Amino acid sequence: MMRRILISAVWVLCLAISGWSQTEAQQAEEMYRQGKFSAALGLYENELKKAPNNPYLYYNIGNCYFKMGSKGLAAANYYRAFKLAPRDGDIRHNLTLALASGGERLVPAGVPAVLHQAFFYLSYPELKGLVFVFLWLFCTVASIWLIKRKLGRMLVASAVILLLSGGWFLLRRSLEQQHLAVIASPVAEIRSGPGTNFPASASAAQGHLVTIQDDKDEWYEVIVQSQGIKGWIEKSAVEQI
Amino acid sequence: MKKAILSVVLLSMAVWAAAQVSVTARVNKTSLTLDDELTLSVEVNGASGNMLMPELPSLPAFNVYSREVQQSSINGKTSTLFRYVMLPRFVGKATIGAIRFTHNGKTYKTDPISVTIYRNAQSVPNTRPASSSAKVSSDGNYDSAAVKRPVEKADPNLPPLERNLANQAYARGDENYFLVAAVSDQTPYVNQSVTLAVRFYYNRSFYDAPYQKPSVSDIFMEDAGSAQGTQSIGGVLYRYEEQRYLLTAAAPGKATIGPATVRYMTGSSPFSALDRLFGGSAVSAEETAKSDPITLQVRALPAAGKPKSFYGAVGEKYTISAEADRTQVEAGEAVTLSITVKGPGNLKPTGDLQLAPIDGLKIYNTQATSGSVPGNNGQIRGYKVFKTVLVPAASGIYTIPSVKWSYFNPKSATYQTLQTDPITLTVSPSTKTDTGFNFGAAAGNGFQSFSQDIAYLKTDAAPEPSFLTRLSAWQTLNWVMLAVLALSVLFASVGRKSLAQKRAYATAKNRLKKAVSDEAIAEAVSGYLQHKLKISTGSMPLKSILQALHKQGITPATAEAFSLLWQRLDAARFAPASADTQDAQHLANQALDILKLLEEESK
Repeated sequence: MMRRILISAVWVLCLAISGWSQTEAQQAEEMYRQGKFSAALGLYENELKKAPNNPYLYYNIGNCYFKMGSKGLAAANYYRAFKLAPRDGDIRHNLTLALASGGERLVPAGVPAVLHQAFFYLSYPELKGLVFVFLWLFCTVASIWLIKRKLGRMLVASAVILLLSGGWFLLRRSLEQQHLAVIASPVAEIRSGPGTNFPASASAAQGHLVTIQDDKDEWYEVIVQSQGIKGWIEKSAVEQI
Repeated sequence: MKKAILSVVLLSMAVWAAAQVSVTARVNKTSLTLDDELTLSVEVNGASGNMLMPELPSLPAFNVYSREVQQSSINGKTSTLFRYVMLPRFVGKATIGAIRFTHNGKTYKTDPISVTIYRNAQSVPNTRPASSSAKVSSDGNYDSAAVKRPVEKADPNLPPLERNLANQAYARGDENYFLVAAVSDQTPYVNQSVTLAVRFYYNRSFYDAPYQKPSVSDIFMEDAGSAQGTQSIGGVLYRYEEQRYLLTAAAPGKATIGPATVRYMTGSSPFSALDRLFGGSAVSAEETAKSDPITLQVRALPAAGKPKSFYGAVGEKYTISAEADRTQVEAGEAVTLSITVKGPGNLKPTGDLQLAPIDGLKIYNTQATSGSVPGNNGQIRGYKVFKTVLVPAASGIYTIPSVKWSYFNPKSATYQTLQTDPITLTVSPSTKTDTGFNFGAAAGNGFQSFSQDIAYLKTDAAPEPSFLTRLSAWQTLNWVMLAVLALSVLFASVGRKSLAQKRAYATAKNRLKKAVSDEAIAEAVSGYLQHKLKISTGSMPLKSILQALHKQGITPATAEAFSLLWQRLDAARFAPASADTQDAQHLANQALDILKLLEEESK
């Protein structure tokens, strides 16, 4: 009897949470439609705390920032959504627009868009899962070959596929391990050292992509990828992806 | 008929030319004492070439003791001044009758002038000139330089520039020719327009007077027009030629305006002009008039409170207006927006207006034109017009918002902001279907791209993680399972070998029972040796095989029997006999017996 009551209570709680969540998402959309982007942003950020790996929430947060004029923060959130759902056309479109407003490109110059889409067809976790699948396949075929001395060609084919997928995975892993960030403040000054006593050598507008190289106190050492400039930027001016 | 028309035209031109001549008579005062001089001036304008002296009426109340002629030509207009200095003879009212002047057969008469002569100065109520018309060219005493007068002061209500010039002129009123210069403000702000006026005063004739404008440092100067005028200094009417400039300093600090100079030729005696006029010889001398240099102290604009819409204009009373050439258009049609700023000084160096983006309207680059026009009190008023083309992409009601423009007011030392009124554009759908250039209106294929915006929100639930994503999440499990698989394969491989060893005799026995040839018997025996005793017989000589058997603990008798069997099988392999199934079966039985012994002894 006690067990039944407990199960019923859990069900009711789940339903209540689900219903409330839907209402909040609808409220956020209504706010967005009315042009109250800041209010919609607050609601979406609350949602994100409950589902931190939801690409659509990052996407919607990016939309709010974009409409509020914070193209840098918009790009950062679109990038997070893109990493989780790289095949989504809307996410790719909005990310391209947000990056373009800062003079950046999603697809590097000279790289065919089709190749870029193929390279990012799978998310990083999906690619890792695929490598496991091919590893299983290879091990299975290898076992058969060891025991029965059969499926020799299939063993070679599975080894080649495993090597290719492993290479793809390693390339993506090197990109994943880059500490990518976006300039979030309207203009960020790039200095020659971690402090305002060092002269500013350049300034970068919001939306520029940077890779973080080092970290000291309230400063990041960054490389502005599109310009090839290296320098120090205040942490508050940068949004890590 | 043509000749008649030509005659009328020529007659009209002659009448017009004659009408250009004007004769004016004036006196320097209408009330005087018996001790005073009265100067009568007869000015003839527009007459050129040979001319006669004016005919004076009978003047019983005066003794005329001096006469002078001055002639000058300004902008092609010739002016001749005849001056007579007279001494009164009687107390009472006197009338100077009409003066006659004949030129090109036409006689001009002046109006009579009345003067009152008093006995002494206490009785004189007023000594104003008889006329103060602006057209008076020159007037005054015979030799003003010889007259000592108290220095006059300019009207304090005059603008600073005019007052400064007038005061400088009053201070130098004992000279017949002099040059003065003054600025409207000696401590201007950066970008504030300052007027520089240079005046050449004279009360004598001159000719060949090249003018050299002042040199400037750290300041931008441009011409702002010229003017002429008169000023009475100590009762002597001076004429002056004035040249104006607009000065603008781009940086704070000191800026210097050098002296302007006029080198003029003048007669050596007051009668030289008269002599020249009537064919006499004249002796001329070159003299130079020079203005004093001026130093400006240029002030920096305050940084505090500088608005974003400040483009560098400094001055007062600016105005701004905005106008669209049309407010009802079709989508894709161009609308020209003109924003005009007007105000004092030179607006050329000010920055160009920046228009903020307007949703739905494509804004092309702004083109600016600027210029200046003469204003009141000799001031220069500048204007700057910003023109831009706006193209609405789609139909609808668009509002061009207020445009802000700020300037610095040097009087109040504050920044002030002006703004235009919003303009509403009513845009109807495009009716153009051609593929020609129409600022992006509907193209021939019926598709029209307006602008790019982000895609709308995602309102659906996010997709569930794919199988591959979930698989990657089981990373540890995967590695464990793979390790288990590897171990299993390893054990299976080892077990497979052990099983083969155990089943070597049974396998050989089955094969020997089915053997129908010596070759099949040899293969069965070789298989047994390989799986059971790990002896590879492929390329091993018999001696080596026997040694291996010995190492396995096989007795010499069994080894001898195996040797005989092996030799028999070798012989059969290299010299195959006729296929006899019974012989083969017999040999197979022998081989089976020997393998049985090997099986027993190898344990």
